Amino acid sequence: MEFTGAIREAKKGTAELLVLAFLDDEPRHGYELAQLIEERSGGALTFNFASLYATLYKLEERKWIQGRWVEKAGQRRRRYYKITDEGREVLAAQRKEWRQFFELIRDLAGVRYA
Amino acid sequence: MPDRELRSWKSLVRERADREWRELSLEVVDELACHLADLHAAALRGGSTEHEARQAALDALNAASFLEVSKRPRARRSPVGVFHDLRIAWRQLLATPIVTAIAVLSLALGIGANTAIFSLVNSLSLRALPVKDPQRLAILDPQDNGAWTYPILEELRRRSQLFDGIFAWDTQRFDLANGGVTEFVDGAWATAGLFDTLGVGPLVGRTFTEADDVRGGGPDGPVAVISHAFWQRRFGGAGEAIGTRLTLEGVPFTVVGVMPPGFFGPDVGRRLDVIVPVGMLTTVRPERSLEQRDYWWLSIMVRLKAGQSIDQATDAIRSLQPQIREATLPINWPTVDLMQYLKAPLTLAPAATGNSSLRQRYERPLLTIMVVVVLVLLIACANIANLLLARATARRHEWSVRLALGASRWRLVRLLLTESLLLSAIGAGVGFLVARWGSQLLVAQLSTQTNTVFLDLSIDWRVLAFTTGTTVITALLFGVAPAFRAAGVSPMEAIKEQGRGAGSETGRVSFASGLVVVQVALSVILVVAAALFLRTFTKLATLDLGFDPSQVLVVTMSAERAPIATAQRMAVFERARQAVASLPGVQGTALSFITPVSGHNWGNRLEVSGGVALTDSRRSALRNEVSPEFFETYGQRLIAGRAFTDRDRDGSPLVAIVNEAFARRFLDGANPIGHTLRRYPVRPDDASLEIVGVVGDAVYRRIRDPIPPTVYSSAMQPDRSLPSTEYNLNVRSASGTSMLLTRSIADAIAGVNKDLALTFRPLSDQIGASLTQERVVAMLAGFFGALALLLAGLGLYGVTSYAVSRRRNEIGIRMALGAAPAAVVRLVLSRVSMLVGLGVVIGAGISLWAAPFVATLLYGLEPRDPMTLAGSIAVLAAVGAVAGWLPARRASRIDPVVVLRDS
Repeated sequence: MEFTGAIREAKKGTAELLVLAFLDDEPRHGYELAQLIEERSGGALTFNFASLYATLYKLEERKWIQGRWVEKAGQRRRRYYKITDEGREVLAAQRKEWRQFFELIRDLAGVRYA
Repeated sequence: MPDRELRSWKSLVRERADREWRELSLEVVDELACHLADLHAAALRGGSTEHEARQAALDALNAASFLEVSKRPRARRSPVGVFHDLRIAWRQLLATPIVTAIAVLSLALGIGANTAIFSLVNSLSLRALPVKDPQRLAILDPQDNGAWTYPILEELRRRSQLFDGIFAWDTQRFDLANGGVTEFVDGAWATAGLFDTLGVGPLVGRTFTEADDVRGGGPDGPVAVISHAFWQRRFGGAGEAIGTRLTLEGVPFTVVGVMPPGFFGPDVGRRLDVIVPVGMLTTVRPERSLEQRDYWWLSIMVRLKAGQSIDQATDAIRSLQPQIREATLPINWPTVDLMQYLKAPLTLAPAATGNSSLRQRYERPLLTIMVVVVLVLLIACANIANLLLARATARRHEWSVRLALGASRWRLVRLLLTESLLLSAIGAGVGFLVARWGSQLLVAQLSTQTNTVFLDLSIDWRVLAFTTGTTVITALLFGVAPAFRAAGVSPMEAIKEQGRGAGSETGRVSFASGLVVVQVALSVILVVAAALFLRTFTKLATLDLGFDPSQVLVVTMSAERAPIATAQRMAVFERARQAVASLPGVQGTALSFITPVSGHNWGNRLEVSGGVALTDSRRSALRNEVSPEFFETYGQRLIAGRAFTDRDRDGSPLVAIVNEAFARRFLDGANPIGHTLRRYPVRPDDASLEIVGVVGDAVYRRIRDPIPPTVYSSAMQPDRSLPSTEYNLNVRSASGTSMLLTRSIADAIAGVNKDLALTFRPLSDQIGASLTQERVVAMLAGFFGALALLLAGLGLYGVTSYAVSRRRNEIGIRMALGAAPAAVVRLVLSRVSMLVGLGVVIGAGISLWAAPFVATLLYGLEPRDPMTLAGSIAVLAAVGAVAGWLPARRASRIDPVVVLRDS
């Protein structure tokens, strides 16, 4: 599915939310995140890998997530990102905002979401 | 192999970032590469072929923009910027291999030559002796006598409160062989104070002490301390060497100690392989006595007290001078000389860098060559700057793209300077190897059969600092111009010009032309210098010596250890001569006390009956004692009177033969035959000699010296004042090399007396060795002069070719309008001649100004010799003509049709 116009613009703003959300349950590395986003969106959402890492670095800089090089047996060394307490607060706040935003859109434009 | 795979992804990420002119930190590169590797692996798992999987990952990479990831703050903090620049620089150098190779080669030669000469200068003049606290060492300035007597040393030692230590030494080549053909080792007589005063201890065993340093040897008998190198060479570094007997000049010495590896003694330029106590002198040389007050042989070094300055120490020693001089007055000296002796002030000179005759001899030549190699390096820099400028022009498009993509100008400059520095560093690395090899080769060139030069060429901080400094300065010299040229690029240029030459091109050509003018000017200086030194050497090497040295073998016979009564020595030497004379292949034989340019001299002040009035110093004449056949064997012309005959022996009237220079000096050119000569001032036992013949002038001490007035007396009427334990047998062979006769001569002499020690040396070698300095300077100047010519020629060729290619359109149009090829050649050559002409004028001007600085190194020509200057200019012009003609000819073959179509 290809988004156009307003939705494509909106997608950019969602990257941070999605990354924080996927890191909420467990630490993951960049490739895993990219895969998850693609799979869960059924291929509708993909990020260029450089932009994904740019987002990760930005979040790390803000101290919302924390990256660490981990070497697991039989695997190559990877950088795992873990959400910080501060990140969780931001995530909760953002979730709340998005929810309110969607409710508003639904009410105003008659758009329903499943 | 996952590691290799990951590495390949990393390098792809880096390349991609380079293309975007972005810096990525190592961590970011790692992470992105990891991601790509995962993508690739996942695609393979999903059933893609290797090619498809790789393409998928590459697509992701190519679609990426590194703008944001590169802004990661830690990337700026990490040193990756420098590595990144170096990597880009390395790739740029590899991209133009020929330019890089030429540049590296020129730099290696330039920096290598500079490092080599500097390390010689360093070892000879700058490096402190490898001993304790060398700054406190001082040497008693030997003034006119060149050395000191043992009694003076004794007087100084008696006043031990003056210094913290004092010692004396005299370098000496000791014969290790026990009779027959000699085998020399560099060594010295030294007083026991040498070790304590210098503050060096033995590596193995012990050094010798005051107890050993007594006449005839101490409790252990005659003892010797050897160098580490000699220990390795002679004893294979075995511990048993201690206690071993070593025969020196026929006297057995016991080795008691080995010095540490870095120690070579107080003399710079030679290594003392064997050190024996001064007290052993009379055992080895029975004719000598330590008490002798006119035997000037010792150098004296002292260690100043802590905090004492040289001037204070000199004052202290001067206050005691009258007593010291009074107690050591030479016996039998004329009053005039004694007065002078008493007055001559004792002076101390700093000796932190040791004592060196080599230094005096080579300081100026080395300095001259240092200037030469600096000029060569400058020419090389100009060449590389030109090469880089040409490349810079080709890269303007690339740079403007980079600027347009957001790179800062400083970034461009930094990158180009990194490139220059890298180039320079590679050049320096190779140059360092060239220098190691070159400086060793040079030191080997300085050694002769009788003088083994040893210089400690190990790398110290000075050499490292010099090379590093040279490398950086070099890089700046050739790198700044292209770098600033890059900084002047405008981002719009890429779009406007598509990389084509434009207005600023004129600037590039005129700058490059300026560099060529500088190169030509510097080359003129170097070629003039090379020509001056080569002509000096040629003049000296081909000079008429006054005798014919070819096929003459000098056999030095030493009766030092032969049990022959003094009165019988001459007879033994004469019998040896007769034995050799009857050998097949021997054309002539003669005895002489001195041989030419051997380093030995014998001179007196003389007065001649009926001679002209002369000042004391003008009365000096050199002397020699020769047997009757001498002039014939040497091929020296007899001009008037007679040569010596067998009748000129003990008991008959004393006779002398003089040379023409003697007649000119002492008799104002009048015929000297019949005049008598004697020592001046006359001493009680001096006899008069009657002049019976005149011979042609011949070189005596140094080839460069004007021929000195020389007096020959008969070997059969020997001067009793001479310690003539040593005599030379000169053998002229009938054909071939005289060295082939060595064996039969040694056997023949052994037949007469097997205890005579023999040293063989062709006379031509001896003469060649005396020209070592001139030969080395000429060789170096010639080599670097030729190198300078080559570099300047290449530079001129490069700039002309470039100018021609730029003016291709113009030339094409000219030809289309009817210009003849000859006119095109003229057009190009006129420009070349302008550059060469300007360079020649500047270079000739500087040469004329600088020439007097090398005057003392020249022989037989004026420093501003017009022939040399004209010749050098002609050579430069010829090189310029060739370098200009090749591109000119190419220009004249331009096809107007092709040019017009292309444009």
